[in-house]
Amino acid sequence: MRTLVFIPAWNEEASVAGVIADVRRSMPEADLLVVDDGSTDNTVARAREAGALVASLPFNQGLGAALQTGYLYALRNGYDACAHLDADGQHPPEEVARLLAEITADRADLVIGSRYHAGAVSASGDYRPTFSRRIGTSVFRFFLTLATRQRFTDTTSGMRAANRRVMALFSKHYSPDFAEIESLQLAVRQGLRVEELPVRMLERTGGTSFLTPVRSAFFIFKGLVVLLVGQFRPRQAEAER
Amino acid sequence: MRLLAAAGEAGQVHLTSQTRIVAAVLAVFFMLLILDLIRRDRLQERYSVIWFVAGLGMLAGAAFPGLLELVADLLGVRNTNVALFSIVLLLLLGLALNFSVIMSRQAAQITRLAQERAIEQARNQAEQANGNGSSGEQGLQPEEQRFEG
Repeated sequence: MRTLVFIPAWNEEASVAGVIADVRRSMPEADLLVVDDGSTDNTVARAREAGALVASLPFNQGLGAALQTGYLYALRNGYDACAHLDADGQHPPEEVARLLAEITADRADLVIGSRYHAGAVSASGDYRPTFSRRIGTSVFRFFLTLATRQRFTDTTSGMRAANRRVMALFSKHYSPDFAEIESLQLAVRQGLRVEELPVRMLERTGGTSFLTPVRSAFFIFKGLVVLLVGQFRPRQAEAER
Repeated sequence: MRLLAAAGEAGQVHLTSQTRIVAAVLAVFFMLLILDLIRRDRLQERYSVIWFVAGLGMLAGAAFPGLLELVADLLGVRNTNVALFSIVLLLLLGLALNFSVIMSRQAAQITRLAQERAIEQARNQAEQANGNGSSGEQGLQPEEQRFEG
């Protein structure tokens, strides 16, 4: 069982080395790849110093393109399972290892680490979402559940694990600017087993969230349009006919 | 104003021969410009077809003003001026959409190109770290061999 853990990073020089060290410590058997999304700071140098392989996109393309790079790399290099986590230190690697265990046990094709799931463990300094994020989260949760007829609590989670079926799908289709939600919808529509696992997340250790109220509103609006359009994409069964 | 109102009532085209000549000359110049852009490699043939169609449309409108009246009738518009502007607007809308489609395709291609380059870079880094190739030699090996060990 060969496993790849990849970390999309855009201007995360403050935290990327720490995250790499943490992943190495809790998952020594996994290969590690940092996908640099056109950082303009020293993210690439920090990641290389920390001993990680770096796939560097020549210009900023958005989280979706960075994640797709990771899936494509995993697919091309014959990994059986892959996982990704954010470079800002919000995602404890031990939790990622738990997601990967679900994949290796073949209980799911795609596992999402959920902050909001009923069983999510709370700890000191654990994750507290802002007001605008809470609104966005509940709106997306409602519509994604409606669209997929499957209950999702944390639609925008950037901590996921996947097997080769998902790698093949995501390396072909992955929305560059609306990655998280559309990919869930796509995976469910393609008949893949998508599962949520409650995880513990931390406050970010570096950088600031990009969400302001206006941006949040626009983000939500864009997300709803994407979800609506996604409902009209062909399903696997129909596409194969 | 009086002229416009008259046109609206009578449903007739009020293109003087002078405006028709000006329109025809403009259309010809427009198509020559397209040809010149292609000749100087500033415009690719496959993106020029739509512009030639637009130029020919302009020319046809100038040569046969009755055509415009016919279209106005078909649209149920009594004022041919309104019909003219509507047609031009729709045409521009179609062109803009066409460009968005082309742009989306190219954006996807650029993204994939960037991703391929990033993956290649990581591969090279891995090869150098593994000592599989001496520095400078980055010959391609079968994919299976690249990350073993």
